[in-house]
Amino acid sequence: MIVRMDRKPAGGKLLRIELEAEEGRVLRARVRGDFFAHPEELFEAAEAELAGTELARASETALGLFSRPGLVLYGASAAGIAEALGEAARALAAR
Amino acid sequence: MRLRLVDSGPAPGALNMGIDEAVLRAVAGGSSPPTLRLYSWSPACVTVGYFQSLEDEVDLEACRAAGVDAVRRITGGGAVFHEAEITYSIVLPEGHPLAPAGILESYELLCGGLVAGLGLLGVEAAFEPINDIRAGGRKVSGNAQTRKLGCLLQHGTVLLGLDLEKMFSLLKVPKEKLAGKLIAQAKERVTSLGSLLGREPGYAEAARALAAGFAAAYGPRGVELERGELRADELAEGRRIAAEKFSSEAWNRRR
Repeated sequence: MIVRMDRKPAGGKLLRIELEAEEGRVLRARVRGDFFAHPEELFEAAEAELAGTELARASETALGLFSRPGLVLYGASAAGIAEALGEAARALAAR
Repeated sequence: MRLRLVDSGPAPGALNMGIDEAVLRAVAGGSSPPTLRLYSWSPACVTVGYFQSLEDEVDLEACRAAGVDAVRRITGGGAVFHEAEITYSIVLPEGHPLAPAGILESYELLCGGLVAGLGLLGVEAAFEPINDIRAGGRKVSGNAQTRKLGCLLQHGTVLLGLDLEKMFSLLKVPKEKLAGKLIAQAKERVTSLGSLLGREPGYAEAARALAAGFAAAYGPRGVELERGELRADELAEGRRIAAEKFSSEAWNRRR
């Protein structure tokens, strides 16, 4: 199952979320948009590490992953990304 | 401290991005000095930010029909239509006087060269955080930065002219928004040297002014611009990276 949604968290740029799940867990997460993340690889590592997370805990886990030390975001925030991913996870869980 | 100034003129998008990365690798490896490059785009090109999906943002069919390239950048930020513009890239090793550790601070410091160059063209402009330069209340320059291999790479554009109708014909825009409304909104936000000056300066005139502006802004930091060329091996590496990375589906459609 896969869900795609666009969300614009308060104070942030538009996020294009793609979340894929299988048996109640995240299979793959993509957070796209015109934001900046430094270093870029750390952002992609956070996306990759979401895999395996229970959908019910996706938002909370994302908040931790995207607010890790060393990852600097401009035009997006860990809270905004977590909120958008949480909404996508709830949409998947409801299917 | 010397900063090599290269004016490499027009090139396709993949090659421009390939040369930026080749210079980054050469500066990181110590075989090239810190470098400021001025360039333009031929054919026109749409680039998207590192975290964007080319397919989501760009009407690739319309680009093909119009002979416009489409490439994903190594820097973040949004989609940009490169046609009537002058572009620069600057590569500096960490610890360079123009490369402070703070990203916002470095944007402002490096954009100081553009602001000074625009002043020489008769345009009163100012840096606006995070990464824009505005003149006459509108954006005239966008900039993007990444840090890799112990170096800072920043590239950005100054619009010489602006064809919003063409730009929006190449970008995918939300279906609920009418093209006419988008164009009207963009006209309120974005401008070009052509609009600001009442005439569109050519690339050569803009390049001269920007080079002088960078020299004036960076001089007080102890940085002196020295005209140079790309070495043959840098250009060859740029071509290789253009072919293997920036022309590849694997890179351009990775996100």
